[in-house]
Amino acid sequence: MASDASEVVRVEEVVKDFRPGFGLRVKRVLHGISFQVRRGEIFGFVGPNGAGKTTTLKILMGLIQSTGGSASILGSDVRETDFRKHVGFLPENPYFYDFLTGREILRFYAKLSGVPAESREERVDTLLDWVGLSHAADARLRTYSKGMLQRTGIAQALVHDPDVIFLDEPMSGLDPIGRMEIRNLILRLRGEGKTVFMNTHILSDVEMLCDRVAVIVHGRIRYEGRIEEFVNDEGRMSELVVSGVAPEVAQRIEEQMGGELRGHGERIAIRLREKHVGEALQLVLGAGADVVSVTPERVTLEEIFLNAVEEGEKDSPGSGARPVRSLHDAAGAAAGISRTAEGGR
Amino acid sequence: MIVRVFTIAQNTVREAIRNKLLYTLLFFAIALIGTGVLISTLSYVESERILQDVGLAAIRLMSVGIAVFVGVGLIHGEVERRTIYTILSKPVSRVEFLVGKYFGLVFTTWLMLGVMAIAFAVVSLGYGAPLDGGHGVCFFLVGMELVVIVAAATLFSSFTTPMLASLFTVGVYLLGHLSRDLRLLGEQAKSESVKPVADFLFQLLPDLESFNVTIEAVHQLPIPAAEVGWATLYGLGYATVLLILASYLFSRRDFR
Amino acid sequence: MSRVLPEGKAARRIGTVVLLAGVVLLTTAAHRQLPHEVKTQKGDAYVPRPEFAKAMSLGFDAVLADYYWVQAVLLAGGSFDPQSQSTHLGRLIDVVTTLDPWVDHPYRFAAVWLTDTLDDVRHGNMLLRRSFDYHPDEWRNRFYLGFNLFYYLEDNAGAADILHEASQMTGSPQYLPRLVARLRSESASLAAAGLFLEELVRTTEDEASRAEYQAALDEVEVEWRARQLDEARENYKKLHGRDIEFVEQLVVGNQGVLPALPDAEPSSLPAPLRRGSRWVIDEESGQIVSSYYGRRYEVHIDEHSRRRKQRIEERTRRSRGAAEVETSAAPSNGSAAEGEEADGV
Repeated sequence: MASDASEVVRVEEVVKDFRPGFGLRVKRVLHGISFQVRRGEIFGFVGPNGAGKTTTLKILMGLIQSTGGSASILGSDVRETDFRKHVGFLPENPYFYDFLTGREILRFYAKLSGVPAESREERVDTLLDWVGLSHAADARLRTYSKGMLQRTGIAQALVHDPDVIFLDEPMSGLDPIGRMEIRNLILRLRGEGKTVFMNTHILSDVEMLCDRVAVIVHGRIRYEGRIEEFVNDEGRMSELVVSGVAPEVAQRIEEQMGGELRGHGERIAIRLREKHVGEALQLVLGAGADVVSVTPERVTLEEIFLNAVEEGEKDSPGSGARPVRSLHDAAGAAAGISRTAEGGR
Repeated sequence: MIVRVFTIAQNTVREAIRNKLLYTLLFFAIALIGTGVLISTLSYVESERILQDVGLAAIRLMSVGIAVFVGVGLIHGEVERRTIYTILSKPVSRVEFLVGKYFGLVFTTWLMLGVMAIAFAVVSLGYGAPLDGGHGVCFFLVGMELVVIVAAATLFSSFTTPMLASLFTVGVYLLGHLSRDLRLLGEQAKSESVKPVADFLFQLLPDLESFNVTIEAVHQLPIPAAEVGWATLYGLGYATVLLILASYLFSRRDFR
Repeated sequence: MSRVLPEGKAARRIGTVVLLAGVVLLTTAAHRQLPHEVKTQKGDAYVPRPEFAKAMSLGFDAVLADYYWVQAVLLAGGSFDPQSQSTHLGRLIDVVTTLDPWVDHPYRFAAVWLTDTLDDVRHGNMLLRRSFDYHPDEWRNRFYLGFNLFYYLEDNAGAADILHEASQMTGSPQYLPRLVARLRSESASLAAAGLFLEELVRTTEDEASRAEYQAALDEVEVEWRARQLDEARENYKKLHGRDIEFVEQLVVGNQGVLPALPDAEPSSLPAPLRRGSRWVIDEESGQIVSSYYGRRYEVHIDEHSRRRKQRIEERTRRSRGAAEVETSAAPSNGSAAEGEEADGV
């Protein structure tokens, strides 16, 4: 079990049971999950709501104790506290002592994180400037907007210059500009050699930012690997709407390219794989028909999740010992394609 | 570790003194001390004593009130508002957090006690009532009682809702002042089986009457230094046990 | 309200004020219908058993003691009816001195007020004895107990013992040993009563009680003179072989045995209240009496309580008749009552 130096987070067979009431009834929310986060990468921990993302993150942050298995950050068991001076954390919709000013709260977190007194003020000023809160530094947090609180959250996560940063749904509730700022920030952190772990359910963020992901559904890891392998173009579909196409042409597209036809008469919609779109267009245009629109169909994570959820429900009675499968199954199934299971591992 | 505990304690004090409600309570307490003047005029003799009785009662009641009021929401509020997430993600252990909150609250209640004591002294001097070291000892022991009450509030706050925690804490306060009577009841009971139960309860419950020298202070009776010393030790010991228990419960808690 | 709305803000505000005024009037009217006596004044308020009060005080003994003390003061200061209320008063003081046994005055307050039945006196004595543990150096409490024993319970030996203790204490008056000696001699109870009463008049803080003691002292004084006249009458009999027909014979011409008759009214009586009372021979008993009192003085309780009751009845009747401000008249009330009552007899 020795962790190698490039491993920043190591989660092994972590199980978590909750007792919903006072009784003996136990609800298992994590069924022995395992994954690793490597140094310097942006790691996406994705899954639908209720899959166990936040539970896992809270175990890593020491807010919840695992029922079984082990979890470590930077080689230290998560139940310890000392290593946390190298860890930053931004919870979802963070909330802070609203009786403090922005400067006071950063000072407070800097002190807790062990930032030495001589560099504390400078560090606080730098962070305030960095997240663009210098102008409101001496106003109470009570008066802050949601966006400002999010920035405060980022500032407190970074005030002690941590090596690894954990973000829980960092984009939630932000406007497009806010999201862009956070994205830039995350990329900048990677540029500085930091490791970033983020919980998210937004595919575009994952695609744009993450080097590797782990997908969790129903308390089980369904996939862990590189993002490119996870969201593969091959699996993508496009919708082609044409008019005046001859039935035999349509039939050819349906048979040769696996297209699905909808609609009757003059205008029909053909759903087919993205790689066949060019070929199909040539065929349609060659037959003298008109192309009304070509819409690439993005497979959303939600769809993948939905599919994986259905699948999970199908085979979940088989207990947690079931081997982790590639999410390609799920992704493929969502896209109406079946693929072999040997993917990213 | 000390820095972190201190930082959290300091912040707890800051939270309290920036809370307007606390000033309302304090104002009320001082007004209550002032009513002693009114009540004392109802008696044609010993009105200075009545003035001080009322003042000290008001101080003890209000300081416990403040302790319960601020104490029970102490941990729950942090979890509810999720402020605890970011704090515990820093190199702060749960015990450090809990102890920091505890010290912060004790200091806050002491601060309030100090202000009320000054108000008491002003009123006493204004009406020519005697003031001496006994009153100081009385305030000190009220402070020690607060050490225990705040520890109880912290303990209950560490695992239950403010509503229940305040109920439990007030319960401890009431039973703590009854525990000597409980033991007496056990001794006088006819049934032999009652005595060990009453005795056990007496040992288990905080004997808060140990910290009550109101009558001694007001009548300027001698207060043996040894008694004050033992009471202090008892208070600190009892509070420590409560805090260890609280730490144990708090460390095992999941913040969902 | 809705009808005044279109009139605008001002109309609405007026409506609110009118409503508020109406509610205030109604509330005040309702309050006026409720009985307003403070329960203690009726003497039937609940008084807990002392040990119960002590257990339930939860450490607020001192202030609770004050509460019951104030009730006792209000009870005694109001239209105190000793027959029905003195037991209640005794219970109040019992609670006060159980809650805070270091109180000082309430013990003597109890001794002063609990004199209407022998049981009350015994209760008062029990309370006085309680004070000995908490005020070991207070000679006055022992003095009051001694008085009660002597005056009401006719226990001269007991009174002498307790006064002997009192006489050993610092601050006790110099005549106490003399008083002890008199009590031991069992002869001069009038002198003892005089000494006691003089001290009580001197030390009692409560004005109404002091007036009563003064009244009793006045009677003792007049009785003292009456006894001198008795002596002179005996001398007259011896000298002339016959009794006097009127008291003035004792001083008339060369047959007289006295240079002058003493004052038939108490010397403390202020000039406006003097009525030129004379010494007369009571037709019924044949004794020399002052027309001021119309009878001779007897020290002990039965007689005392009979007369005390008469006095109180008289006073009650008068205070009902002419609803005068009782408190302002209180100091002279006692002696005035004596005078009027004496006229009536």
